[in-house]
Amino acid sequence: MTGGTSVPVMERTRRPLRADEVTSLRAFLDYHRDTLLSKCAGLTVEQLAQRHPPSQITLGGLVRHLTAVESGWFEEGILGLPLMPPFDQVDWDADKDWDWHDAEGMEPDELFAGFAEARARADAVLDDVLARPTGLDTLSVEEADDGLGGYSVRWTLLHMIEEYARHNGHADLIRESIDGRTGQ
Amino acid sequence: MTQTFDASTRTEAPVGADEMTALRGFLDYHRDTFRMKCAGLTQEQLAQTHPPSAMTLGGMMKHLALNEVGWFGKTLGDVPYPPLFESVDWESDPDWEWRTGAEDDPQELRATYDDCVRRADDAIDEALARGGLDAESVGKDSSGDPFRLRWIMLHMIEEYARHNGHADLLREAVDGETGE
Repeated sequence: MTGGTSVPVMERTRRPLRADEVTSLRAFLDYHRDTLLSKCAGLTVEQLAQRHPPSQITLGGLVRHLTAVESGWFEEGILGLPLMPPFDQVDWDADKDWDWHDAEGMEPDELFAGFAEARARADAVLDDVLARPTGLDTLSVEEADDGLGGYSVRWTLLHMIEEYARHNGHADLIRESIDGRTGQ
Repeated sequence: MTQTFDASTRTEAPVGADEMTALRGFLDYHRDTFRMKCAGLTQEQLAQTHPPSAMTLGGMMKHLALNEVGWFGKTLGDVPYPPLFESVDWESDPDWEWRTGAEDDPQELRATYDDCVRRADDAIDEALARGGLDAESVGKDSSGDPFRLRWIMLHMIEEYARHNGHADLLREAVDGETGE
């Protein structure tokens, strides 16, 4: 496939200037999810697999990685559910970068459909936990390695915002190296 | 002389904290991450680009210093810029901080950055005492609307995190170092 991908150039989620905590956190997360998609808009399958050496990161790899990260922090982390398919079947000990490798050769339609599914599943987890009386203070089922206990939903949302924003910084330089496009 | 940063002093955002503690924790985490990305590099390395991008780590440090006093000082509290930025003719030289940051002595640049972070923290303390995270900014956006402190904190976290993403690739291009 050599045509452009199915991701349109899009209007990103707005970040309201004077909102409450939950609305603000979810809007900033959606803004960065949309930013990642807009960084991939109009690129071919070959361009999604292009590197900006010496970095090994690709835009396709970023999308697949963040698909797994969404399921990892929200479904597995907060609720203790298995990762969404196919990530639940992966031997992560054998290949901790499986998600990055899996992106190679994936059809864009499949890649972006997986991302959309992970995003929808994550949002459903958030709707569930934020409806509880503990809200953003609800602690994750999965606990931190260092004996600190569970992560609050607040921490998880902030972490996901910075995770996306940092990866969008990678995406900025990779996209600029592919076709010169910057900004957004 | 290069900049230094003791990685064992890096702030980690606490996993079960209240809103204000969490926001300040993530902001400090990204400030420290950026200090680590610039540590140990010479002036020439801080001025190196990774084409086609024109960004440099030195320029980024001065840009983030300006963002600290711009958002938390000027916009949030109407605090004047420090003298260094006050005298710049931004109309004729809109990328002044990026251009000059790449030419600065590394230790002087880091001192400027650390000073701007201290000024920003003072402005955050003042606004929190005034109205908590709902405190509204003195400065307005292009539509004439004020920002809440909550929005400015979240914006600065995403601003830093995104620039740290740029810094990741720049640093890897300079000397191969990745991670953190």
